[in-house]
Amino acid sequence: MLRRYLAKRVLVALPSLLIASLVVFSLPRLIPGDAVQLMLAETAYAKDIDELRRKLGLDRPLYVQYVEWAGKALRGDLGESLWTKRPVLDEIGSRLPVTGELALYATMIAVLIALPVGVISAARQDTLQDYIARSAAILGLSVPGFWLATLVIVLPAVWWGWRPLTGFTEFAQDPWGHMSQFFLPSLILGIATAAALMRLTRGMLLEVLRQDYTRTAWAKGLAENRVVMKHALRNAVIPVVTLLGTQLPQIIGGTVIIETIFGLPGMSRFLFDAINQRDYPVIQGVNLVVVSAVILLNLTVDALYAVLDPRIRY
Amino acid sequence: MKLTRREALALGGIAAAGALIGQSTAGANVPRRGGTLSLRLWDPPHFDLHAAGGLSYKLHIPMSFTHSRLVRHKAGPGVGPGTFQFEPDLAESWTQPNENTYVFRLRRGVKWHNKAPANGREFVADDVVYTINRFLTTKGHANAHMLKAVEKVEAVDKHTVKFTLNAPSAWFLDTLASPMVVAMVNKETSEKFGDLKKAESSIGTGPWMLDSYRPNQGMTLVRNPNYFLPGLPYIDRVDVFVDEDNASRIASFLAGKYDLGWEFPGQINRTDWVQIKDSLKQKRPNLKVAEFPANVMSHISMRTDQKPFSDVRVRRAISHAIDRQGIIDAVAEGVGVFNAAVPAALKDWAVPVKELGEGAKYFAHDPGEAKRLLTAAGYPNGFTANVCFTTYGSTLLIDSLQLVLKNLKDVGISAALDQKEYGAYITTCFYGNFPSMTYGPQTPFLEPDSFLYGQYYPDEPRNQSHINDPVLADMLVRQRRTFDAAKRKELVAEIQRYLAKQQYYVATNSGVYVAVWDGALQNYAPNLGYDYGGRLLAAWLQR
Repeated sequence: MLRRYLAKRVLVALPSLLIASLVVFSLPRLIPGDAVQLMLAETAYAKDIDELRRKLGLDRPLYVQYVEWAGKALRGDLGESLWTKRPVLDEIGSRLPVTGELALYATMIAVLIALPVGVISAARQDTLQDYIARSAAILGLSVPGFWLATLVIVLPAVWWGWRPLTGFTEFAQDPWGHMSQFFLPSLILGIATAAALMRLTRGMLLEVLRQDYTRTAWAKGLAENRVVMKHALRNAVIPVVTLLGTQLPQIIGGTVIIETIFGLPGMSRFLFDAINQRDYPVIQGVNLVVVSAVILLNLTVDALYAVLDPRIRY
Repeated sequence: MKLTRREALALGGIAAAGALIGQSTAGANVPRRGGTLSLRLWDPPHFDLHAAGGLSYKLHIPMSFTHSRLVRHKAGPGVGPGTFQFEPDLAESWTQPNENTYVFRLRRGVKWHNKAPANGREFVADDVVYTINRFLTTKGHANAHMLKAVEKVEAVDKHTVKFTLNAPSAWFLDTLASPMVVAMVNKETSEKFGDLKKAESSIGTGPWMLDSYRPNQGMTLVRNPNYFLPGLPYIDRVDVFVDEDNASRIASFLAGKYDLGWEFPGQINRTDWVQIKDSLKQKRPNLKVAEFPANVMSHISMRTDQKPFSDVRVRRAISHAIDRQGIIDAVAEGVGVFNAAVPAALKDWAVPVKELGEGAKYFAHDPGEAKRLLTAAGYPNGFTANVCFTTYGSTLLIDSLQLVLKNLKDVGISAALDQKEYGAYITTCFYGNFPSMTYGPQTPFLEPDSFLYGQYYPDEPRNQSHINDPVLADMLVRQRRTFDAAKRKELVAEIQRYLAKQQYYVATNSGVYVAVWDGALQNYAPNLGYDYGGRLLAAWLQR
């Protein structure tokens, strides 16, 4: 059943991918100025511009360019960067792990903060712990990540002359250095998601804790830990998983600014530069990979429902 | 030129820095080999100086470490910021048999970096011929026009190369010495890779070699053990970091991560400097500071071939309308300099505004006189115009534009903003393709000819204001043909005085750089231009 459901979801995802590919192909071309203008920015001779545009194939009708690009993309060829002439897939391949790692750690941190705090907050409703947790959640939702990152970087430097690591250390070079360089950016990236998840966990858990079957569990004399963690939490987290699915694209979007601030050589920085340079193959390639990743992650989240709630069958 | 209290303090700072530099060299230990210098630079688009995108300072600066030129500018504590004197680089000497011919004798035994495919081969005259021809003929090379005076270059023998020019050019050596022009590139490398874009193709004869390049993160340069000046460079390794976030750069500098100021050319933006200078006094008490005017100059250009800007009274009115000191106060913390046609930063050539004679008065902010001139020109109610503009990503530039528009409005010129995307701006307005006016910064050249001939001679690509003034054109050609430096200087001054009266461009102001460097860095002095490598060549670290 699950397999059939997933197959169905994959089929539904294909039109999404097609539409997304059309959007990522056409939108960058609507930005004023093109790669050729930027490349020849200081020569400005119309003859050169036309010639380079012809050489790069940018003089052909858009639909021709799109069909050629989409056909190649289906065969796993995302083309070459207009500026560096390096294959886009190679460029993405060297950067995707960094962004993936950052997003993964941010998600882990968000979940690790949100669930325990949400549970404590619900189980100790209207106590000091609950008030602190709720206030912290509001703060986490309100404070922009880029501002927090700036403070985290600048204040220790002003106070103690200390600054977090910047630059990038490969795992093979120094595993501890590699992991530790992700700690602060992941924490900052995960905080807003943690706050949203925590509030939902608390709300859902409060609702479940008031249901009859939970009251029965209490009446049976079960320990609080068992009632909350085994009977209530499992049912409460299903909407939380849904929310997590919708938060993932936000986390991936947030990597753009966090990678820039912390100097991580991920895909988002690469995309940012490509947009500035109107490097169409790179913009298209990166966006296609991101869209595919988001669709895949949502599929994973859907699949998780079945694991969390045995009643859900497809 | 008006000297404000802050300017006076700034210039005092320069003098103080000069004293500091003097002390540092007088009391410094003997040069010491070793150590790692840490810099914040920019991620180069690629490593090919002659390819499209190769005009970027992001590439010129790293190349100043790895590549050499025939001649270069002197560097070190004895050289004042804004002054440029030649010294041999790859050429050990040169002669000028006639006005149109230069003959360079190359150093013997110069080796390319010991990397494949150059493998430490000797640098010879054919390499110069190859580089110059590649410079002039590579499609899309944005700086090719800088050597358009070259008619022919030929290898006379293995160590002699002859340049034949199509017209006399007293500035030819300046062009060759410019760090944005003729770094020598290796033929075998270009042939092996097809171009010089890859990091592996960064093979020169310079004092440092590119050891590793990490896209968007940085690069590491290591000392070239076979550099042609024995014993140099002293610094073993240069770690370059790409740091795209200003908060991160401030924190890194406060924490001592970078040895030079993080902005070009080794300075700190004044707005940041004002914020952190007290913290720096505590965190980095041995930091050295020098202040000197920037050669990045903004101006208003106008269609002087069309009404109303063809009338000199209108141009003078616009100059009177602009509150230059107001712009300096509002966007540059009150510290800046006024510019004539040659930016004040080029100290050997610029005429101070107050010494421009009759034309000096047009630099005064006088809206009343501006209105009177407009009325006399037949525009008692002013006129409408538009200003082509791009932000260059600078909030300071946007602020100064707002003030320019307000100043124009105050005298009745209602100028609409025509903001363009960078590429669109450069390909149109920067090269004079605009209907009314533009406002923006100009390329920071290191000699006056590019500011004068390049911007005022008829049909030059940078003649944004469409100027066609036979009197001026004659003076511009004459200064190019005047090889006697003193006479040329007088001619350049005469041109500036003439231009002050004409106001073909209405120049605004330049900022004053705050160059900073770690006290451990000895025998270093900042200057204008991209030649970081040249300025660090004989510096050492006393950590």
